[in-house]
Amino acid sequence: MNSIPQEAEMPIVLNLASDGELLKEYVIESREHLNNIEQGALLLEEHPEDADTLNSVFRSFHTFKGGAGFLNLVPINHLAHGLESLLDLARLHKLTLNAERIDLILRGRDTLRQFIDQIDAQLTGAAPPAPIMIATGDFGRQIQAAMTNEPEPASSSQQTEPTAAAAPSAASTVKVETSKLDSLVDMVGELVIAQSLVAQDFNPQAAADPRFARNLAQMARVTRELQRVSLSLRMVPIRGVFQKMARVVRDLAARQNKEVQLVTEGEETELDRNLVEELADPLLHMIRNAVDHGIENAAARAAQGKPRAGVIHLRARHQAGGILVELQDDGQGLDKERILAKAVEQGLAAPDVKWSEEEIFHFIFAAGFSTAREVTDLSGRGVGMDVVRRNIERLRGRVEVTSTPGQGTLFKLVLPLTLAIIDGLIVTVGGQRYIIPTLLVRESFRPRREMISTLQGRGELVNLRGRLIPMLRLGEQFGVKPAASSPDEGIIVVVQTGASLKCLLVDGLLHRQEVVIKSVGEMIRQRNACIAGAAILGDGRVGLIIDVNSLGSFPVSFGARAANN
Amino acid sequence: MKAEDCSIPRTPSRALPGKYLTFVLGGESYGIGILQVREIIRPTAITPVPQMPPHIQGVINLRGKIIPVLDLRARFGLAAPAVNDRSCIVVVQVNTTESAGVLTGLLVDSVDEVISLSDKDIEATPEFGCRLDTRHLLGIAKVGPTVRILLDLDRIVGDETRAQV
Repeated sequence: MNSIPQEAEMPIVLNLASDGELLKEYVIESREHLNNIEQGALLLEEHPEDADTLNSVFRSFHTFKGGAGFLNLVPINHLAHGLESLLDLARLHKLTLNAERIDLILRGRDTLRQFIDQIDAQLTGAAPPAPIMIATGDFGRQIQAAMTNEPEPASSSQQTEPTAAAAPSAASTVKVETSKLDSLVDMVGELVIAQSLVAQDFNPQAAADPRFARNLAQMARVTRELQRVSLSLRMVPIRGVFQKMARVVRDLAARQNKEVQLVTEGEETELDRNLVEELADPLLHMIRNAVDHGIENAAARAAQGKPRAGVIHLRARHQAGGILVELQDDGQGLDKERILAKAVEQGLAAPDVKWSEEEIFHFIFAAGFSTAREVTDLSGRGVGMDVVRRNIERLRGRVEVTSTPGQGTLFKLVLPLTLAIIDGLIVTVGGQRYIIPTLLVRESFRPRREMISTLQGRGELVNLRGRLIPMLRLGEQFGVKPAASSPDEGIIVVVQTGASLKCLLVDGLLHRQEVVIKSVGEMIRQRNACIAGAAILGDGRVGLIIDVNSLGSFPVSFGARAANN
Repeated sequence: MKAEDCSIPRTPSRALPGKYLTFVLGGESYGIGILQVREIIRPTAITPVPQMPPHIQGVINLRGKIIPVLDLRARFGLAAPAVNDRSCIVVVQVNTTESAGVLTGLLVDSVDEVISLSDKDIEATPEFGCRLDTRHLLGIAKVGPTVRILLDLDRIVGDETRAQV
């Protein structure tokens, strides 16, 4: 009854004009099914007899197949049909889902995802319309084989007929386009500004009228709550990324013949949707490192008296208005001496300096450090860590490392809750207001004249408690004339950029404020990389957000030259 | 100036008949397609952006959206009178080659009127050789004894958003 069509090597030709809308819906739905299949397969690996999960994965393949048949996506239809049949047998207790079969399901799911990705690319115009061709022929044979060679008949102990399990309740959620959410957030932001302008402007005599004052206060409360709610609409649990990591750990550990267990905590922690997507990549690098280099093989672990299976903890929780993601392994830890030796060899570190542990560990994030084979082989880590750091910095977060030799390594990612809002420190230079992300601000102070020294007449250094930090005059960088003529009339803001610090000289600090980040548009971004975005300040005017990482990396004449071209 | 700059192909009139909003820039009268105009607002506080050429005045807050403001006088090298009480910002929505629906503000001296142009009112931009780059013009419209210069906003804004360096 479950014959698999053998010849499935047919290219898919999309009819974008007539099926465009249907395909779009199919792609969105399919992605949900693909996720469901992956999570289900991983669950089934541990509990192969779990009837609910079996049913749910079966249903996903079934819907997948139905949609593909309707849209005449023949190879997808065939592949989904094959996997559905396999699950059907498992559902009827005619075969057991052993590791090989789970593997087959996962690989089949990955191939289905490739199809969906390509269809999606053509729908969005990222790829030119062309026949889609992905080899699936081998799957037919493998599935057939997996269904026929029956290693052990399923035990008949569990004869509970699979209940017509209720479909996962999805009725309480609504799908909304993000652009609609964004414009809602925009309008609410404007409402908050309008409300505060009304509150500021109104006649002080009217303040004597208690009814009016009460109503005004009520309006303030409602608008604030409205803003909070509208911003929370974009929040989703971090669960999705964590589940992806479970799959990565499983595959990597199997390939390396290591025993690794991933323990996740705080999956329900909510953060911005975009952030969840952006977080997947750096986490993947770190997990890969932890499994590749951090966790020793079973024999080595046993020799050290550790349990054979390594454990990787992945935790998320809210902390201080941001989110903290921790990745901890119980592997061999970082080798401080090796890293320092390598850093000196590569010219990253001066040899005769006493480096703190924190500073040494930060060398692994340096670009190019990753290519050093000796370090990756001997002390582990380093592969793609500069990518991790750059990704996290782009998300306006930072990475911290602690490690104990023989006991493992702990990476802490400190991230903002959302990409939509930052806690900003508003500074002034020459009458202009600029916003510096508070997460990156270490401290601020009024310098004394003797703290500042010049270097070859051009560079300036600040001596902060014995530490020499380069100073940038923000006014000079931005071509505005500062009100403070000498540094000791201004304020220095110390900001963190990667592992190093920078001092920014500004006229003064105004206040801290949570601001909604907006794009400044291509026209501005292409001419000034130091502007990370803009935000609307309390009086309705625009304030520019400074990208402290890019600051000072371009010559000051950069924009002026561009203007002359 | 290099020689090839002179050989800009003569552009036939690309302007379509229809309604145009006309405005004044440094004493000259210009027109833009009405369908590209989103709204006209009073000059609000423009936040200057560091390291911008003179014709990018800065950014403004348009009801929660942040949009750049172009000073077309500086762009076309016209004399720049001070902003007065007739100055306006015309907010336009254009489609560049990179993205559709880009909102941009244009700072103009004063907004005139909306005129209807038919085919016979519109002429191709005449040739000026090297002295004048006419790529950003759609054509010239004759309205009675006067002329209105019709602007190709898609190109003007598109050139600003394309990579500069």
